[in-house]
Amino acid sequence: MAASIAPECNEIKERYDTCFLKWYSEKYLRGNTTSNECEELFTKYKKCLNKVLKERGIDTMLEDARKSSSETDSEFLRKS
Amino acid sequence: MKFFENKFTYDYSFPAVSLAYFLRYPNPYSRHVLTTDVIDRYVDPNTHRLHTTRLHLKKSKVPSGILKLLPKGMGGSDNSGQSYILETTIVDPTEGWMETESRNMEWTGILSVVEKQHYQRILTDENIQALDGLSIDQKSEQTTVRTTVTFRSRLGQGKFLSRKKAGFDNAEAEEEEPKRGFFSSLSTAGIQRTIELIGVKRTRDAVLKSKQGMNVVLERLRSGGIVGVLEGMREDREAAFGPEGPWKRVWLQGNGRSIEDDDK
Repeated sequence: MAASIAPECNEIKERYDTCFLKWYSEKYLRGNTTSNECEELFTKYKKCLNKVLKERGIDTMLEDARKSSSETDSEFLRKS
Repeated sequence: MKFFENKFTYDYSFPAVSLAYFLRYPNPYSRHVLTTDVIDRYVDPNTHRLHTTRLHLKKSKVPSGILKLLPKGMGGSDNSGQSYILETTIVDPTEGWMETESRNMEWTGILSVVEKQHYQRILTDENIQALDGLSIDQKSEQTTVRTTVTFRSRLGQGKFLSRKKAGFDNAEAEEEEPKRGFFSSLSTAGIQRTIELIGVKRTRDAVLKSKQGMNVVLERLRSGGIVGVLEGMREDREAAFGPEGPWKRVWLQGNGRSIEDDDK
């Protein structure tokens, strides 16, 4: 599995990734789109990750990127 | 602005291709990808589509061809050799399509690169029945992917330093002067065009490599399932970073005291 940007989150990330892959291939792709058994692991993983993103200032960069991405999208829409 | 477009057909079913997309790092063609994290993921309750946002950290440098065009100091100082890529995907399993978008988060003033992909299953009479199951192994199914990449350089258009925060106002003002002098002496449009062209050239290689990487993952999926992909990843990671972690490369074969030894 791909490593996390935060080495301390690797373990919980791996558990979440494994859960997601199982859910995605065995349930979601087969039409069972409402189950969410990986939610708890994802919450734990996100909690670990968000702390590190904040410490390194990546969280504000993410916000900026999302903002500018919707800006460019509306620019394109106006043009077409 | 410049565009790059490419169409390609995978000899694999849509479920397999979409799974491989989420599983594509690490693979033997992705040594430049250091980390991948899931920032956000949810199923839209109305459309049942899966929305995912991921953050990739990649090894990359501003190409030397572009560096030459920048005023001294700009590009050099902050060029850490790593860059963040924001990737969003939407999967519709019923209609059999997936849309992806990847964009660079830094250096967008020099060159903003946005890659969009549209994956679509191909329905033929013989595989309509196969859709009931996951049919990862169905060789008859195919999935097309259309890739478009947009390159846009805003260099010299004032927005260049817009990412700097208010606290850096002084530094910004100091940098402003020589920059203006530099850009007035050269055609801004010409520089932008050159930078966009360098981006296009690099993207041709990158798109080919990502296709090769996807095919490796898909082949592992076909022959060994998800377990097969994970086994392959472990080997790739060791080959790329060595058993002692991502920051120590081990080039020599036979030096392999593996941390996975207990699995063998």
